[in-house]
Amino acid sequence: MLKYIVKRILYLIPILFGVSIIIFGLKTFTPGDPARQILGNSASEAQVQEKREELGLNDPVPVQYFNYVKGIVTEGDFGVSYRTGKPVLEEIAPRLLTSAKITLGAVLIGAVIGVLLGIISALKKYTWVDSGVLVISMFFQSVPEFVVALVLIMIFAVNLHILPANGIESWTGYIMPMLCIGLSSVASYTRITRSSMLEVLGEDYIRTARAKGQSEKNITYHHALRNAMIPVAQSVGTSLGNTIGGGMVLETVFGVPGVGKYIVDSIAQRNYPSVLGGALIIAIVLTLINLLVDVSFVLIDPRLKTTIISGGKTKKKKMKKINAAA
Amino acid sequence: MSENMLNVENLVIHYETDEEVVEAVNNISFRLKKGEVLGLVGETGAGKTTTALGIMGLLPPKVGHVIQGKIELDGENLFDKSEREMRNIRGKKISMIFQDPMTALNPVKTVGEQIAEVVLLHSRCSKVEALKRAQDMLAMVGIVPERYKDYPHQFSGGMKQRIVIAIALACEPELLIADEPTTALDVTIQAQILDMMRSLQKKQGTSMILITHDLGVVAEMCDHCAVMYAGELVEYGTVEEIFDNPKHPYTKALYQSIPSLDKDVDRLHVVPGMVTDPSNLPEYCSFADRCEAKCDLCEKADPKMIRLNEEHCVKCLQYTKEWEGKINE
Repeated sequence: MLKYIVKRILYLIPILFGVSIIIFGLKTFTPGDPARQILGNSASEAQVQEKREELGLNDPVPVQYFNYVKGIVTEGDFGVSYRTGKPVLEEIAPRLLTSAKITLGAVLIGAVIGVLLGIISALKKYTWVDSGVLVISMFFQSVPEFVVALVLIMIFAVNLHILPANGIESWTGYIMPMLCIGLSSVASYTRITRSSMLEVLGEDYIRTARAKGQSEKNITYHHALRNAMIPVAQSVGTSLGNTIGGGMVLETVFGVPGVGKYIVDSIAQRNYPSVLGGALIIAIVLTLINLLVDVSFVLIDPRLKTTIISGGKTKKKKMKKINAAA
Repeated sequence: MSENMLNVENLVIHYETDEEVVEAVNNISFRLKKGEVLGLVGETGAGKTTTALGIMGLLPPKVGHVIQGKIELDGENLFDKSEREMRNIRGKKISMIFQDPMTALNPVKTVGEQIAEVVLLHSRCSKVEALKRAQDMLAMVGIVPERYKDYPHQFSGGMKQRIVIAIALACEPELLIADEPTTALDVTIQAQILDMMRSLQKKQGTSMILITHDLGVVAEMCDHCAVMYAGELVEYGTVEEIFDNPKHPYTKALYQSIPSLDKDVDRLHVVPGMVTDPSNLPEYCSFADRCEAKCDLCEKADPKMIRLNEEHCVKCLQYTKEWEGKINE
């Protein structure tokens, strides 16, 4: 198990190299001078040149890249934001936390509602309940998130005055963004749960449980649900990643200082250290989240334990033995 | 208390879908005495499993319907029971072993939990006691009791079937229905499993219905044998009677299709034609279209079950007076 985790963390290295090289290339080959960008049009050529020297922009690109990577590895320094002059890490950390909170809440809302609706429509398959659930969840999936956001703002902020329309000064500010992202993902959880629940309920071991004299309620919750949750958990893993970095639109609508909005703003400002640092930090976080999700699968599905512990090598070894025997 | 463990009378089961009605079980009756083993033989689709599911009360909901008849377990009609009462009977009084052990166990629960589950449902004991019982059961079916913490995927097919048997026997049921318990296993394991089932059945004094299409298994394990064709019982008797003196043309054809070591033949005997479509059964004898001994009479009337002697019944016109009249003409 430990070996598997270490191996997965080592995978981070090539991933981060790839991400950093692509973004570093973008930075190098996009037209426009960051030094001019920082100083403004009124600055003299000498000042700009001085700034370029200060930022290391006159060094050859590989040297720039090497220095950048060295900074990260030795000091955890992801560079300094051109705009504010503060370290990128310092700027991103609180935003990442905000985005993570919203994401976690949203995925929780989406998954809980989605799984419940999925179970209901699986148990009541082909009835009006089933169709009703499908229509409602499809509705929230088809309507764009920002429309749902605006409607929520209309209802809860403008008319009812119970939630703030903008910002996250208090915890109430988190509710609408969470609800908005959560509701839009309900449909996919509902459908995954419904179909996997139906599949599991048709399995032979459900019949075995019935033959034991087990009640339908216990069969649903003790035998079927855990098996049906395997694909749902996989989908939770992916959507955690997508939502953390991809919440830009909603962060703008709700005025939430999140990491998605930060990176998009930085791109507009040609604030390359922020873009680069942001992308790398998100890549690290996503890889760790995926690892966490994969490891947590073992808790749901014991069959994975064997594959994870052996790192999928058993098959190869067996094949070798078979080949040797032949 | 009656002397019959199980009494099935005039049982008719249909599967009804929007498109068609499948007459899966047609008017079958049989009895099973305490401690006896009945072999239920027939080709795929003959209604063997449906009969078993009917007895268990586990026909697929909405689709499977018992149209008429009764099933008495120990003198009590199972169709009069509520779902709650049936749940108390399932696993406790009647247990069932399913065909494919690979899929019959829940992959995310330890085998100990799965055996203990049935114990907990039917006897008043603590979780610890149930797990203890689960370990005893594992030992009984020849698996190291310490492996109760393992998951199904860590066992081989034969061992999984042993676990399924352990679940079925954990509450010492009065009736055990084994639905092709060895079909999914390879031949060497089949013998082991059958030996084990027979010794456990003798030990616990359980009555058993053994569903199979392997006549060798029937000869080895059973006291009585019932041959099913297209949802009907076509021949019923003691194993000795049926094996030494088969009467129904279908039963005879079944024997001829078993390879023999004594005779050197290139091709085995084949029952001509396809299994009769159970959604479109004829008014007359359902085997007539494939029967080698048929005559005009067979396409006019559906024969009744005829008692040949104390131990032997057959559903064929050959053994009626009309047939003799026809032959004499």
